[in-house]
Amino acid sequence: MLGSPLRNRVKTRDGDEADVDHVDDVGSGEFAVTLEHVTVRYGKVENAKQVAVRDVNLSFPRNQVTALLGPSGCGKTTILRTINRLHDHTTGKVSGSVRVGDLDVYARDTQPEIVRTRVGMVFQRPNLFPTLSIFDNVVAGLRINGVRKREFLREAAEAALRQAALWDSVKGRLGLPAIRLSGGQQQRLCIARALAIEPEVLLLDEPCSALDPQASARIEELIVELSSHVTIALVTHNLFQATRISHRTAVFLLDDQNSGTLVEDGPTVDIFSSPKDPRTQAYVTGTIG
Amino acid sequence: MTADRRGGAPERSEEDAAPGAGSPGHVGRLIRLGGRRSHGRIYATIRWGGVLVFAAIVVALVVSLVWQAAPAFRHSGLSFIFSGTWNPDTDQFGAGVFIVDTLITTGVGLLLAIPVGIATAAALSEFLPRRIGGPLSTCIDLIAAVPSIIVGLWGLLVLIPIFQRDVEPFLQKIPLLKHLFGGGDLGSGILLASVVLAIMMLPTMVALTRTALQGVSVADREAALALGGTRWQVVRRAVIPGARPGIEAAITLSMGRALGEAIAVSLVIGGGVTFPHSLLANGTTLGSAIVSFFDEATGVQRSAVIGLAVVLLVFTTVTNIGGQLLVRRRGGSRRQALPDQGVALTDAEVVPA
Amino acid sequence: MTTGTDVPTRDTADLLSPEAVARRRRIVRRASRSTLRRRRAVGNATRVICYVALVIALVPLVALVWYTIKRGVQGLSEAFFTQLPVPQGVPGGGVKEAIIGTLIIVGLAAVVAIPLGLAVSLFLIDRRGKLAASIRFVADVMSGVPSIAIGIFAYALIVVPSQHYSGISGSFALAVLMLPIIVRADEVAMRTVPEDLWDAALALGARPSRVARSVVVRNALPGLVTGNLLAVARAAGETAPLLFTALGSVLFTTNPFQPMDAMPLRIKLDGTQADPHLQTVAWATALVLLASILVLSIVARAFASYATRHAR
Repeated sequence: MLGSPLRNRVKTRDGDEADVDHVDDVGSGEFAVTLEHVTVRYGKVENAKQVAVRDVNLSFPRNQVTALLGPSGCGKTTILRTINRLHDHTTGKVSGSVRVGDLDVYARDTQPEIVRTRVGMVFQRPNLFPTLSIFDNVVAGLRINGVRKREFLREAAEAALRQAALWDSVKGRLGLPAIRLSGGQQQRLCIARALAIEPEVLLLDEPCSALDPQASARIEELIVELSSHVTIALVTHNLFQATRISHRTAVFLLDDQNSGTLVEDGPTVDIFSSPKDPRTQAYVTGTIG
Repeated sequence: MTADRRGGAPERSEEDAAPGAGSPGHVGRLIRLGGRRSHGRIYATIRWGGVLVFAAIVVALVVSLVWQAAPAFRHSGLSFIFSGTWNPDTDQFGAGVFIVDTLITTGVGLLLAIPVGIATAAALSEFLPRRIGGPLSTCIDLIAAVPSIIVGLWGLLVLIPIFQRDVEPFLQKIPLLKHLFGGGDLGSGILLASVVLAIMMLPTMVALTRTALQGVSVADREAALALGGTRWQVVRRAVIPGARPGIEAAITLSMGRALGEAIAVSLVIGGGVTFPHSLLANGTTLGSAIVSFFDEATGVQRSAVIGLAVVLLVFTTVTNIGGQLLVRRRGGSRRQALPDQGVALTDAEVVPA
Repeated sequence: MTTGTDVPTRDTADLLSPEAVARRRRIVRRASRSTLRRRRAVGNATRVICYVALVIALVPLVALVWYTIKRGVQGLSEAFFTQLPVPQGVPGGGVKEAIIGTLIIVGLAAVVAIPLGLAVSLFLIDRRGKLAASIRFVADVMSGVPSIAIGIFAYALIVVPSQHYSGISGSFALAVLMLPIIVRADEVAMRTVPEDLWDAALALGARPSRVARSVVVRNALPGLVTGNLLAVARAAGETAPLLFTALGSVLFTTNPFQPMDAMPLRIKLDGTQADPHLQTVAWATALVLLASILVLSIVARAFASYATRHAR
């Protein structure tokens, strides 16, 4: 788990140096997330067979949707989870460098909880807190992070629900148990919950895979709207979805050692119309995968 | 002690009941389709015979106990339950004291066993790595394997002196609780019986709670994790609420276990047929009453003692039915909007957009 | 940190403006950072409390086993295993009749309960529907019936009509105790056998009973053995069902129609006497009983995990 050799210090606007954790501003580079030589291994031995995904170099432009595209099992979700350090809780070992803005995610003195307040995640199936109301679900992230003031919670909840296109449906019934919502609404509530803590990056792991086409379409609309002020990384195996809503696409396939690898990435238009790598070509034309 | 203790065997089979695994009706279907009749018949006879014998036993259990206890019920009427007077010499048989003592010992036992049990289960399932948690969990299960007579005897010979010498004087010094702990100085008594019951309830409590905690899906945990929660916050906000049904079942089943414990309690509770004035007083529970009074009882008195067994049976059956219903309800009502895997969710609005 | 107004304007543009977003973001991050240490500390404290609870839970077990060994070892001798009890005050003597008695009473109970339980569980695995669900439910509730009530049931059913205390009435009580446990354990063990095994055997034209016998039971055998052994171990330690049935005795007999002694009964009788010698005998008996049960339980579980690791 090699972190960046540099310490987490940045120059603030006042010209002082400060630890990145203490900088309240969002980073301002062109890329919100940068991955360099990221490899994820499972198991104890440095065994080539157990490399889930190998040597990924990828950058996510700020306030755009980047799609991680590819067939199942090629490492897209694995890579996504390196960004918010979810592999800490599995047997996966991450090597390489992941930076969110100026924050080195895997540096020794970086707290994973802090990383996760900057990088939100929405999962494949809605995983609301089943015992909580709609309101309590939305503000759960705020409460977890120690924010208590009722007025603030209400404001953040409304902002998040509006961004998730859910405010008008639920505004009068915030006390309802969250599980009473339909599937598509639950997923949008999960998005709202993630947005409530104002992350700068939002990771979406196949958010529409459990939804019917109508619900999917609404989520896709949502994603496009959100991308104007949140950087979005979207894992999908649906090529059409990638063409519909992503600005950039990164194609993941299996290499000949059965590990996931990043084959090519670039503007979505280019990937689909004039891919550089023959494997990409094969994939987007449906020849493989 | 029962199948419950083995990490929740009953619950797991409910989940197995749906998919595959010699699935219900499967063989039956195939038998009807073309199994050879005569041998199928022997097989069917064995199975149906077993079921009938089993049902007969259950029915006979209830009937014979009620039958034997009937004279006492006729003799005492409702006062059997409500009267606190148990005096064979005057032919008065009221189970009131025993019922109260049973409820107190079980209640205090639960007060001790529930927090310790849940915390222990949390330690085993959430904090300790699996390699250590597994064997330790088995050790706790082994407490349930210790025969209750040995636990009772140990309580009699080891715990009573400790209580008499150290615990009770200590408790009597606590200013506010003096009335709760007044009077007794014998070591034996209701408090000790409660402690012994708590010890005996722990394995059930820990095993079932641990199963419930481990049953919370990774997805639910990740929900809290991805929002920036610390490990404990994940446990508090995602795991424990998710495990609540299982914990409720654990509590109820442990309670059923404690209500029915007779031998161990009879050795440490001291005996006595008056309502207790403090937790340190001696007393008698339904189970310990049966153990103590049965031998010398004749006639109506013996029938009354059997009546105590009937009352005990009612208590434990009601509790166990409740517990089993809780076990079966687990996870049922949680994700109403989500159908089974693979079926697309519609956006049909429960709450109109 | 408030916005300075008591009633914030809920204008959408206001709410979602970059300034509002940045403001909220700052508040959240500041709160997150400043509370992290406390949140972590709470988690660590809770972890410590849970470890303490674990120790508390283990102390009685350790203390009990240690005490049983300490006092029981003193009473072990060859005489202990080969002689009958002697009157109070007389040295020597043993508990031969209790050990044999336990073996006979538990053995008879197992001989009845194991096949019967298997039969009922064979019924249950094959059927869906209300009847099977009810039987399962009844079995689960039955496994919680107090053993003293079962003892009185056996008394009422057998001892009263026959006017005779007997070992076999004790066996009946233990069998009733074991039955629901065995039924559920057997069913669970057989359900773990994959469906394709059933299918394959039946497709080859085997009779259903044969399928059950050779395919399913054989594959589920480890689980069945474990479940049954644990039920037997449980029954061997029970005192209450034997109090009013087998009654206990100081005579050596292998006739189950006579009153019979058993280890739990002997422990109760001797352990509650004031005579220290008798108490030692009681603890020695307790040690033998406890050791047998623990060994049986551990072997049963070890067998189960060994067998599942080397399955098929």
